[in-house]
Amino acid sequence: MHADSVNKTSSLQERLGRNWIAIFIVLLVVLFSVSARAFFSVDTAQLIFFNGTEVFLLAIAELFVIITGGIDLSVGFVMGFSTVVSSKLIVMFAGMGLSPLASILAGSIVMMIIGLLPGLVNGWLVAYLRVPAFIATFSMLGVTHGISELMTQGIPTKNLPSLAGIIGNGSFLYIAPNGALSFFARPQVARGQTVIAILPNMVVFAFAFILLFAFILGKMKFGRHLYAIGGNIDAAIRSGINVKRDLIKAYVISSFFATLAGLSYVMKYITGKPDAGANMLLEAIAAVVIGGASMAGGSGTVGRTILGALVIAILETGLRIIGMQTFMTYILVGAILILAVIIDQVFPNRNR
Amino acid sequence: MADKGRPLAGIPGGGSPSSKGPSSISDQTRGGFFQTTFGRQTAFGQFTARNWALLFLILMIVIFSFAGPGFFDIVNFQNIIHLSTGTFLLAAAETLVVITGGIDLSIGYVYGLASVLGAKVMQILGAGGMPVPLVIVLGSLAALLVSILPGLGNGVLITRFKVPPFIATMGMWGICNGVTLFLSDGFMPVMGAPSQINDIGNSYFLYIDPSKTVSFFSKPPYITLTSIRNIRRLIPNSLFLTLLVLFILGFVMSRTRFGRHTYAIGGSMDAAVRAGINVDRHLVMIYVISSFVSGIAGLFNLFQTGIGNYTPSGANYELMAVAAVVIGGASLTGGKGRIMGTAVGVLVLAVLENGLQIAGISAFYRYIGVGVLLTIAVIIDRAFPDMF
Repeated sequence: MHADSVNKTSSLQERLGRNWIAIFIVLLVVLFSVSARAFFSVDTAQLIFFNGTEVFLLAIAELFVIITGGIDLSVGFVMGFSTVVSSKLIVMFAGMGLSPLASILAGSIVMMIIGLLPGLVNGWLVAYLRVPAFIATFSMLGVTHGISELMTQGIPTKNLPSLAGIIGNGSFLYIAPNGALSFFARPQVARGQTVIAILPNMVVFAFAFILLFAFILGKMKFGRHLYAIGGNIDAAIRSGINVKRDLIKAYVISSFFATLAGLSYVMKYITGKPDAGANMLLEAIAAVVIGGASMAGGSGTVGRTILGALVIAILETGLRIIGMQTFMTYILVGAILILAVIIDQVFPNRNR
Repeated sequence: MADKGRPLAGIPGGGSPSSKGPSSISDQTRGGFFQTTFGRQTAFGQFTARNWALLFLILMIVIFSFAGPGFFDIVNFQNIIHLSTGTFLLAAAETLVVITGGIDLSIGYVYGLASVLGAKVMQILGAGGMPVPLVIVLGSLAALLVSILPGLGNGVLITRFKVPPFIATMGMWGICNGVTLFLSDGFMPVMGAPSQINDIGNSYFLYIDPSKTVSFFSKPPYITLTSIRNIRRLIPNSLFLTLLVLFILGFVMSRTRFGRHTYAIGGSMDAAVRAGINVDRHLVMIYVISSFVSGIAGLFNLFQTGIGNYTPSGANYELMAVAAVVIGGASLTGGKGRIMGTAVGVLVLAVLENGLQIAGISAFYRYIGVGVLLTIAVIIDRAFPDMF
């Protein structure tokens, strides 16, 4: 993290190597724009962020733990757990006579608190009982998977208020053809006229939290402690950092972001199911690694992780637009993940 | 940076940490409650710690025998073994990699790839009118040959390009998943393999008709659907395959130089290099074996079910295999683990699932059970660090 200011002047080649991820994103956009004319538009850009909300959130969840030199395998199923529990809570609150908006808010807030629990247990196991992160979080994967399967008994949750879908698929700002602005509510217009929607609600929701935690990681003492723990845990202990407490916090933040991803899923798809995030573990870790973090800990930033997640989001949406099937996404994400590590070894200064 | 394969406390094969293993945090928490409970010195404490998985397995069998009618039955035990064939082979494959201090996350999808690819080749050749035995042999060969490739890729990436095993095999996980998805046209099981493969995959060694005769490997020819229930079937073919693979790998790991080198690499990569072991070549071989054994498992799944199965999302075969390996006493930091231990680990998971089902408890509890067991395994392992 700390720049060794000796080597300030770098050749063009090195600069390219360090910023290959940005160049790669530009290349992807150009490629997709050439192969599908509709790709290069504001709508597609928003769609990429909208489709990728869960990947962004899970990547940030994974980042906090990877910085400490650990890993969180449970994020995908904590997300599934969150979709199940939050939708059950919202339906319960609605059944108690609360208005749809109040029950959605109450359900989400209660879920955000419940969602701290898996992280608390993970962190406690890792920090106090010295269980390797891989094992502790895989155990939590099993426990959250089991609980959410028991709660749903194989049937995705339903009967959520339709307002959830309106919030989840709506946008922050609408511009009517006559230039009138309206917030949150899509204006009624004549047939054939198009309303421009800007900033999907869920993207705003996700990035509010992501920016807050980018600040915490980048600017606050707690953030520096996380890098110190990941860089050299012995040194961190000797310099008086409360390693155990900070480790627990990192895992709690991870499971909190996984919970947020679950809430976003519920709002978008108006249902919850245990395996909602089952396939996203690869994408979350890939985003962090493509963003330049080392699995050994001590490096990685929110900004670069978002770039890494953006690569995956662009690939997914772009491939869908040009009509490629999902299998290409898996192959490409896997290949880029490996490539990212190799390129980083050729240009080792990227994270400085 | 020199000891590249040395995993960090948390992540197996995570990268290149500077401190070895979890020793650093351990300074803060010496004396887990297991030491005080059992006492490190007592014979009982030692025996429990060393064989807790086996003891737990026996305990579970006793409890389930009382809790569920039909659990303690040779037919049920044969079912457990028969249905765990894939897990046995995957976990055995994973054991080799874990002993080197790495991890192989791609095996679950290599398993799916072999199954789907074998079915696809058999489907195409069968439709071309080729004789059935040739179709089966060629399809199997194709599946087994292709299943070597992911391992080769993993090994080369890990040794030549210094990609951490976790990342390399996770990338391969994505690639194999994609290729399998492509071959199976998106989650569709691949049909059209010759039906004779089911006879190979699901037959038993012995068929005993209590009134008349004994026959080997296939049902007595005179048998009718009504009298089939009276037949006792003993020793499924899958057991032979499982025992064969476990025996070969167990022998290689415990009796040969290859095995000793594997433990040496896992114990200390630097020392292994200095001792003149060709570590890079050895690691490539380990990942190829891991991938190949997973391919055998996938192919046998095709023989059992008759269709090419896409690995379902969330099945987490690779993580279940790691769980079995760890419950069986291996350490994710490498240098430790036995094939027989892993076999016990697989049985613990399989008996747990089967017993819960028979006892009428929702099978979903097994996910929770696996999680809790796994953590207990490591805590016991940590509490008795110098005993295994």
